[in-house]
Amino acid sequence: MLPEQPVNMAGVVFRRWARALSNGNRSGISAFLLGNRAASGMTKDSLPGSYPKTPEERAAAAKKYNIRVEDYEPYPDRGEGFGDYPKLPERSQSERDPWYQWDHPDLRRNWGEPMHWDFDAYIRNRVDTSPSPVSWSSMSKQLFGFIGFMLLMFYLGEKFPSYQPVAPKQYPYNDLYLERGGDPDKQPEEVKHYEI
Amino acid sequence: MPSLHIILTTSFIITLVILISPVFTSILYKSLNPIWHTHHIKTAVKMAFFTSLLPLFLHVHTGTELTITNLHWMNIMTFDINTSIKLDHLSITFVPIALYVTWAILEFASWYMKSDPNINQFFKFLLIFLIAMVTLVTANNMFQLFIGWEGVGIMSFLLIGWWWARADANTAALQAVLYNRVGDVGLIFALGWMATNLNSWEMQQMFITAKSLDMNAPVIGLILAATGKSAQFGLHPWLPSAMEGPTPVSALLHSSTMVVAGIFLLVRLMPLMQDNPFALTTCLILGALTTLFTTICALTQNDIKKIIAFSTSSQLGLMMVTIGLNQPYLAFLHICTHAFFKAMLFLCSRVIIHALKNEQDIRKMGGLHYLIPTTTSCLTIGSLALMGTPFLAGFFSKDAIIEALNNSYLNAWALALTLLATSLTAAYSLRMIFFVYMNFPRFPALSPINENIKSITNPLKRLAWGTILAGLLMTCAVLPPKPPMLSMPPYIKLTALVITILGLTIALELALFTNKQRPYMPKQYFYFSTMLGYYPTIMHRFFPYTFLKLSQTIASMTIDQTSLEKTGPKTITSLNLSLATTTSNIQKGMNKTFLSLFFTTLMIIILLNYY
Repeated sequence: MLPEQPVNMAGVVFRRWARALSNGNRSGISAFLLGNRAASGMTKDSLPGSYPKTPEERAAAAKKYNIRVEDYEPYPDRGEGFGDYPKLPERSQSERDPWYQWDHPDLRRNWGEPMHWDFDAYIRNRVDTSPSPVSWSSMSKQLFGFIGFMLLMFYLGEKFPSYQPVAPKQYPYNDLYLERGGDPDKQPEEVKHYEI
Repeated sequence: MPSLHIILTTSFIITLVILISPVFTSILYKSLNPIWHTHHIKTAVKMAFFTSLLPLFLHVHTGTELTITNLHWMNIMTFDINTSIKLDHLSITFVPIALYVTWAILEFASWYMKSDPNINQFFKFLLIFLIAMVTLVTANNMFQLFIGWEGVGIMSFLLIGWWWARADANTAALQAVLYNRVGDVGLIFALGWMATNLNSWEMQQMFITAKSLDMNAPVIGLILAATGKSAQFGLHPWLPSAMEGPTPVSALLHSSTMVVAGIFLLVRLMPLMQDNPFALTTCLILGALTTLFTTICALTQNDIKKIIAFSTSSQLGLMMVTIGLNQPYLAFLHICTHAFFKAMLFLCSRVIIHALKNEQDIRKMGGLHYLIPTTTSCLTIGSLALMGTPFLAGFFSKDAIIEALNNSYLNAWALALTLLATSLTAAYSLRMIFFVYMNFPRFPALSPINENIKSITNPLKRLAWGTILAGLLMTCAVLPPKPPMLSMPPYIKLTALVITILGLTIALELALFTNKQRPYMPKQYFYFSTMLGYYPTIMHRFFPYTFLKLSQTIASMTIDQTSLEKTGPKTITSLNLSLATTTSNIQKGMNKTFLSLFFTTLMIIILLNYY
């Protein structure tokens, strides 16, 4: 039996702590200090870069974004900060085939597919760009024409309301005595159905 | 009879306690019990219904109405907020009807949602919704009403998106919440105006102090709230989209109870509006436009649930028209009778859909009359009641509304639209019946057609009894507060019946001869109807696209570009550049010309001065 050595508990803890620090994938300040990084995550090469000017840069950018070189088209360089991000067609996810076996069925997207710059506007809960049987101008004209027509007719309806008569009509000038060929010398009798 | 008010109070409080208790028992012992939902919630609603009949009978027999103020909740100086329950004709009548309809729907749902693993949660959601609705209906102050209002809105969202993994259901739930929110802006504005100008949210004080004030502003807010909640034109697309939810949700929320909350709000606050011709005209115009527009949309729908949804929207428009005629009692009567037959129509449609293995397209139904007789009979009774067939429930409310319409001094176009919509109601009801169970079957032969289940037939039968008797009972039991026009020419009296029969006959003619001809290319107005007036297409594409793009551009580009470039370096550069370019361009290098011009001018000036 070995003689029991007195163990320095603080030393044990410190050693364990130092061992833990120097190992493993740590994030934040430890990774910065010790240079430990995981193999996954965005690398510097996969981040968007500046606008590609030469064909080689275009090819490299197309490879980076997982697009064919023929399909790759960057946004025009007007100082808006798009860089070399590809300009994908403005089509929403609702237009994609609902029956195809997508990797992410709810997003209708495959793994590694380039995401549209405005992908959040084109998810299935938001803007739908699927073609309509009727053209946009025709639809707008019909809807706003309908609303305008209704408003006009309501205005006319206010001008000429509908009601049931509750008493016979009461004409002025003694029930239009003279206009109906009455004798101008004789006194006409009063015809009143109601008093105001 | 002494101490009536104590009996009324006690029985109503017992009703509320019976309703609320399953919510607490669900926390106490977790619903591992697979029949917890039936045992607790359905039984609770059934018992609550029977208990709520006592206040109803007392009210009908003696006319007792009372307000219970329980608790002084909070106050700011003289502005008090209490929890107070108003048991007047509106709430005492509506609560038993809502409970009866809910009982039928819960019993149906215990069959329909049987295979759902979260059925207990579903029932709990429905119960919480019902509690919120009762809170809304019995509220004596606007704050309590607002609590109920928001409650029903949130439960609607949760229930429409019940199958949350389905993107269309999520979109529909979002639509419901957003459209309701736009309406809520109006309600909150009205609440704020009332708090600052009337110094109270209690109904009684509001009605008295509002007599001398100009109420245009808050009333517009209230009408906006009703537009949002009751799917009037402008904020209506959420209601057909809400059919993504399970049918018990559609039957309870989006036909009988939640969507009438907007109309109920206006009925409750009618004293604020009845002397305001601008408000009444707005309600009339909005209601007439809604009822016609949604009826047009219903005419060409092929999904049975969508037809019934648009039918609901159309009837809500009719209720709004009635409010515009200053007839809140008739609007409320229509709310109550409509609850019965609309819920029954939804349940019938679900039985049919289930029988045909989840087929919702009416073009693929047919010939079900002999296969599911109970369901189709209930569908017939419901549709007849919807059309206003004499002496069913819908007749007493709808016919009274049309008579009031014809005898009032009102906008002639509103009258025309409402009558047209009534006629078209008969048309789309007949279309639905024709495609669903007349003629020959158009579905596969091996469909699991079965309605021989007690959980289906009992609720349908109960609602059918309600559809047949409710109108008669309500009209006989209670005198209307405003005397109706009792004498009118025969052609006015028979208007509703004649135009309904006209619509029915034309629809039948069209149905019988169009199914024997070759199909043709649809015309423009067909597209207008099928695509719901293009309203959802335009509104749901243009506005979100514009705002999202604009906000993205502003947030990620414009702000940076402006602050880093345009306000500083780039603008200075470009300005300088343009100045320099212009200046140097003017200098075309014609030095000899410039020199000779200079000397010539100099000579001219010297000569002029000399002479």
